[in-house]
Amino acid sequence: MSAEVEEMLKRFQTYKNIAGIIIVDNDGIPIKTTLENTQTVHYAALMQSLVVKARQVVLDLDATNEFTLLRMRTLTHEVILAPSDDFYCIVIQKPSD
Amino acid sequence: MSAEIEDIIKRFQNYPNVVGIIIVDLFAIPIKTTMDYNLTVHYATLVSNLLSKASKMVHSLDMTNELTSLRLRTSKHEVVIVPEENFFIIVVQNPSE
Repeated sequence: MSAEVEEMLKRFQTYKNIAGIIIVDNDGIPIKTTLENTQTVHYAALMQSLVVKARQVVLDLDATNEFTLLRMRTLTHEVILAPSDDFYCIVIQKPSD
Repeated sequence: MSAEIEDIIKRFQNYPNVVGIIIVDLFAIPIKTTMDYNLTVHYATLVSNLLSKASKMVHSLDMTNELTSLRLRTSKHEVVIVPEENFFIIVVQNPSE
């Protein structure tokens, strides 16, 4: 699994707009990150509850549906949250418009 | 305000992929909708909850930043949520792929 993760990180880091990538396991602990420690932990902690909530919202609306992606657009960045079976991925990018 | 809302609904209803549009006020009460009532109320409460959580999170990471839109992608639909000054717009669409 970690070779797959390394490859994914390397691939995304080459995009100019990407400010940071954080990979968090199901317990909310960041396993890999390209940002500095305090920021990473801050993001991971906040996103943990948001992922859980988003998943609940989707299941509540339709039990056969699955939450696949969450994109948050703010004034300065765009944060993308991609859940997976054993972990979830947080990507922070500067929108290119 | 209601002319603005009518305008928004008219604009989005023309897109073939749009399943439904809900306009919700700041108390999570649906003001206008193109979907059936029970589903609308269900969406309104769940989505408003998620939106306020995401909004708080963005503020907590950076006080000057603000959430401008939220996209929740699931295996069946995509829900786009846009907070405006006095209301939220929720659009449910079929992703065009």
